[in-house]
Amino acid sequence: MTRLRPAAGVGTLESDGTVYVAPLPDGPIVVLEGIAVLIWGEACGGDRDTIADRVAEATDAPPDEIRAHVDAFVADLVARGLLEVQ
Amino acid sequence: MNGSEVDVPLSVRLRFGHAAVQTLANTIGVDLLHIKGVAVDPSLRPGGYAGSDVDVLVRPSQVVALDRVLRRHGWRLYSTFEYGSPFEHAQTYLHDMWGYLDIHRFFPGIRVDPASAFERFWVDHHEVEIAGVGCSVPSVPAQAVLLVLNAARSRAGSRPDVQLAWREATAEVRAEIEALVADLDAPVAFAAATGGLDRYRGQRDYALWRIISQGGSRTSEWWARVRAAPSLGAALRVAARAPLVNVDHLSHRLGRPPSRAEILGEFFRRPARAAREAWQGLRRAGANR
Repeated sequence: MTRLRPAAGVGTLESDGTVYVAPLPDGPIVVLEGIAVLIWGEACGGDRDTIADRVAEATDAPPDEIRAHVDAFVADLVARGLLEVQ
Repeated sequence: MNGSEVDVPLSVRLRFGHAAVQTLANTIGVDLLHIKGVAVDPSLRPGGYAGSDVDVLVRPSQVVALDRVLRRHGWRLYSTFEYGSPFEHAQTYLHDMWGYLDIHRFFPGIRVDPASAFERFWVDHHEVEIAGVGCSVPSVPAQAVLLVLNAARSRAGSRPDVQLAWREATAEVRAEIEALVADLDAPVAFAAATGGLDRYRGQRDYALWRIISQGGSRTSEWWARVRAAPSLGAALRVAARAPLVNVDHLSHRLGRPPSRAEILGEFFRRPARAAREAWQGLRRAGANR
């Protein structure tokens, strides 16, 4: 099982349903809204391999239709240094 | 995903600003305390006013180190200690992402030396989480003292912090606050905000805090600053500074660095302004006789 968490040195803030994430001390601020907030939360809250399944369950979307998009989004967050493997 | 095209609320940017400054301070081992704005305990600011900038009080011996690291990380000097305020207590920086930052090397109204004052605040500091980063803040009674001292520099009638931090405080909390004011030797400025300033009529900084809290001409303010200075050397330095041109303010007014001629022009305008105020003061005195 692979678990993710906000990377060391990354600041996070939730305000009015929007999640703001920033590598510190220089930024920039990445703004996550809507489905991106859900994916961020699921990415920080369980097994990396089942993120798409949990997002699908929360949104009633067919898992196979969203899996590639969700996994690519999570991979982008990792590549930007915002998420890291625990 | 493109964060750069989305507006980020000021209150969010300021929180990240606190977190960014704390991260830099941790990196180089600088002690600082987050004061005012979002760092204030909710019991003292139930409305959660975020303010318009980030304010930190820095261990005085580490100001230079913090200045260096800030400049390496995109914080541009906006106004200097010398010109930022008549007290010369704070220096302002501007960051494209996080906004304005004021670093304080001491706090106006506190008469013990800046290093001892910082240590008094540091000894019982704690951490609060801002944007996921543990930020050092003074104890809650110390925050109350700072809010009240800060309010002393605003005009009467616009001091909501005094109401909540002092007037509505319990007897127990008031005793803690009074003990801290005594430790910091800050009774005059504290009284300027809370009342009873006339009890300190004989003290060297009485006139200064009366003018700051109740108003007065620029000339009388500078005289009060000279009288409030702790030594003859400091008084002479204040006196020598009084007619200097505030180059930072002039730059911001012009939108560019001022030329030598513009600085000279401003230099000669200021004594003229002071003379006008003195003349008006004499006329008023004559009218009252």
